[in-house]
Amino acid sequence: MSGRALVIAWKELIQLRRDRLTLAMVAALPVMQLLLFGYAINTDVRHIPMVVYDQDASAESRDLARSLEATGFYDIVGNVQSYTEIERVVRAGRARTAIVIPTRYASDLRLGRPTKVQLIVDGSDPQTVASATDAASGLVAARASELALVRFHAQGPATGSNLLSLEPETWYNPELRTAVFVVPGLIGVILTMTMIMMTAMAIARERERGTLEQLVVSPIGRVELMLGKILPYVGIGYLQMTLVLLIGSFVFRTPLAGSPLLLYVLALLFIAANLALGLVFSTLAKTQQQAMQMSFFFLLPNILLSGFMFPFDAMPRFAQILAQGLPLTHFLRIVRGIALRGAGFSDLGNELVWLAGILIALVAIAAVRFQKKVA
Amino acid sequence: MADREPVIVTQGLSRSFGHLQAVKDVSLTIYRGEIFGVLGPNGAGKSTTIRMLCGILDPTGGSGRVVGYDVATEAERIKTRIGYMTQRFSLYEDLTVQENLRFYAGLYGVPRGGRRARVEQAINRAGLGDRRDQLAGTLSGGWKQRVAIASATLHEPPLLFLDEPTAGVDPVSRREFWDLIHRLADEGTTILVTTHYMDEAERCHRLAFIFGGTLMDVGTPAEIVARRRLRVVELEPDRRADAEEALRADPRVEEIAHYGAVLRVTVHADADPGAVVREVCGGRGVVPANLRESRVSVEDAFVAMVRQDERRAQAARAAGAHP
Repeated sequence: MSGRALVIAWKELIQLRRDRLTLAMVAALPVMQLLLFGYAINTDVRHIPMVVYDQDASAESRDLARSLEATGFYDIVGNVQSYTEIERVVRAGRARTAIVIPTRYASDLRLGRPTKVQLIVDGSDPQTVASATDAASGLVAARASELALVRFHAQGPATGSNLLSLEPETWYNPELRTAVFVVPGLIGVILTMTMIMMTAMAIARERERGTLEQLVVSPIGRVELMLGKILPYVGIGYLQMTLVLLIGSFVFRTPLAGSPLLLYVLALLFIAANLALGLVFSTLAKTQQQAMQMSFFFLLPNILLSGFMFPFDAMPRFAQILAQGLPLTHFLRIVRGIALRGAGFSDLGNELVWLAGILIALVAIAAVRFQKKVA
Repeated sequence: MADREPVIVTQGLSRSFGHLQAVKDVSLTIYRGEIFGVLGPNGAGKSTTIRMLCGILDPTGGSGRVVGYDVATEAERIKTRIGYMTQRFSLYEDLTVQENLRFYAGLYGVPRGGRRARVEQAINRAGLGDRRDQLAGTLSGGWKQRVAIASATLHEPPLLFLDEPTAGVDPVSRREFWDLIHRLADEGTTILVTTHYMDEAERCHRLAFIFGGTLMDVGTPAEIVARRRLRVVELEPDRRADAEEALRADPRVEEIAHYGAVLRVTVHADADPGAVVREVCGGRGVVPANLRESRVSVEDAFVAMVRQDERRAQAARAAGAHP
C-alpha cells in the first residue's frame, strides 16, 4: 500500500536534489526572512541622532548623557546652548531628539528633590517617537530607582542589598523583545509560504509536463499519490523550522523556553494542514505560475490577520473570525507559547483542537478534489 | 490474433465536453494480439477515446469493457493491466534513464525483489546500456521513445495504448519501434496505436478511421482501401501546371498529389483512370508521359475520406446558409 507512496517520495527527492533553484529557496527563504524581519525592525529605531542641552554641566548630568548614548538608541551628535538652537538642529534634520538637563540636576538629586529631565522628540516619524521615548524613560526610570536605592541604602537598614537585583534590566532591551517576538512567528510564516507553494507547484509541474497523466493512468492509489507527493515536504518543513530556530537562537538569542519535542510534534499538524492546502490549490492550478500566484494570494491575509504583524486582540471582530480559520493563527499561538512562555501540552489544548479541525477539513477537501481523472 | 479473444469491447461509447461532442457513439471490438491503428485528423477524438479506454476519463454515454473490466466503474483494475505511452513520452526529464525505469517499475508494482533485474533486462533489450545514467531530458527523440516504450512495458501489460508514439522520431527509429511492436503482438500483447504516418497505418492488422468524433470505418488496411473504391495512376506530364489545372476541374478526379516530377491522380473506381487522364490531358494538349496504374495506399483512402467529409460539411453549411 505505502510502497507506491515511497516510490513517489523517492522520485520527488531526486528531482528536488537536482532542482538547484528550489533547493536554494528552501534554505535562503528562512535566512532572508529572518535577517529582514530580525534586523530591519531593530536597526530602524537605534542610533537616533541626539543633541544635549546640558544646563547643569555637572558630573552627574554628563553621566546621564553618556548613559543615554550607551543604550545604543541615541548617537549624541553635539551639545547645544539654547532651545532655539535645538529647534534649528531638529528642523535641519541633524538631530531627531534632544535631551534637556536642568540646572541644579546634580544638587536636586543629591538632596533627594524631584527633578525633571526633558526629552524632545521629532514627531514626524511616529515609529521613532515610541522607541525614542521608551528607551529614555526606561533609562531614567532605572536611574531614578537606582538613586532611590542608593539613598535608601545610605540611610536605612541593610535590606537594600537584595533589592539591588530589582535593577530594571528588561527596560533596557526592547530591541531583544521584538526579535524574540518575531522569530518564532517567522517559523509559521515561512512554513505557510513554502509548504503550500511547493506542493501546489510539484503537482502543477507534472500537469504542465504531461507526466501527471502518466501517474493518473498508473495503478497508484489516490491516497498513495497524495502521500508520496507531500511526504518529502514534511522533511523540508522540519528542516526550515530547525534552521530558523538555530539562527534565531545564535543570532538573535531567541529563547526556547518550552519543550522542543512538543513544538516539533505540534508543528506536524501545521505542516500537514499547509500541505493539504497546497494539494487543494494544485487541483485548481493548471500551471506552475498559477500555483505560485495562488500561494502568494493566500499568504497576504495570513501575514496580516494571523497576529504575526498586528496584535490579534486589536483587530476588529470580523477579522478575528476570519483569522480563526487560518492555520497560521493557531500555530503562532502554539509556537510563541512554547518558545516564549514555556507553555506545555495542556496550555495549548484549544489551539490544538482548532488546528486539528482545520487539518481534517483541508484533507477532506483535498481528497474530494484530487481525483485520478483528467479534465 | 489467433484465438479471437476480445480485449476491448465498446458499445456506443461517447464523451462530450459541455456542448462539444468529442466522441460520438463508438462501437468497437479489438482482439488479443492485434495491432489496431486509429487514424483521424487532429482533434478527431482519438486521444479522448484512448483516455476513456484507460479509465482516466469517464464516458458520458455508452459503455466499454477493457481487459474484462468496465471503464466507468472498474477503472483502477484496468490500470494495472495496461501500458500507456503518449507522444510527449511522459518521462521525467530530470531523472536519468535508469531512475525513470525504476520509478515506473515501482509505480506499476513490480515486486521489490525483481525490480532491479526487470529494469536491467529492459535496459539491455532497448540497448540503453550506455545511456543508463543520462538525464532523460538530454536524450534525442528516438532514444526518449525507447525509454518511454521500455517504461510502458516494464510490467508486461497484456494491453498497450500508444498515442502517437512516433511523432518527431527519425525513420530508422520508427522502423525499429514497429519491429518491437510486432514482436510484442506476436507474444500476445494487444496494441492500440494512433498515428498520422500512413506507412505505419499499413503495418497495423486493423484500422479505424475517426472523423469529428465519429467512427467512419473499421477493417484491415486492404478492406478499408477496397471499400473506398478508388483507382490511382501516376504520370510525368510535360506541362505539369496545365495538366494539374485541367485534372482538378474534372469531377471524376478525387485527388491529385505531387511526388517530385510525378503527379499521382486518384479517380473513383467506376472510371478507368488511364482513360480519364488521357482524355483530360489530350483536351489541353499535354502529353501524359509514363502513365501507369499504381496500388491504392491507405493514405489515398484516408485523404479521399477526409475530402468527402469536408465536402459533406461544406454542403451542410451551404444548405444551412440558404435554406
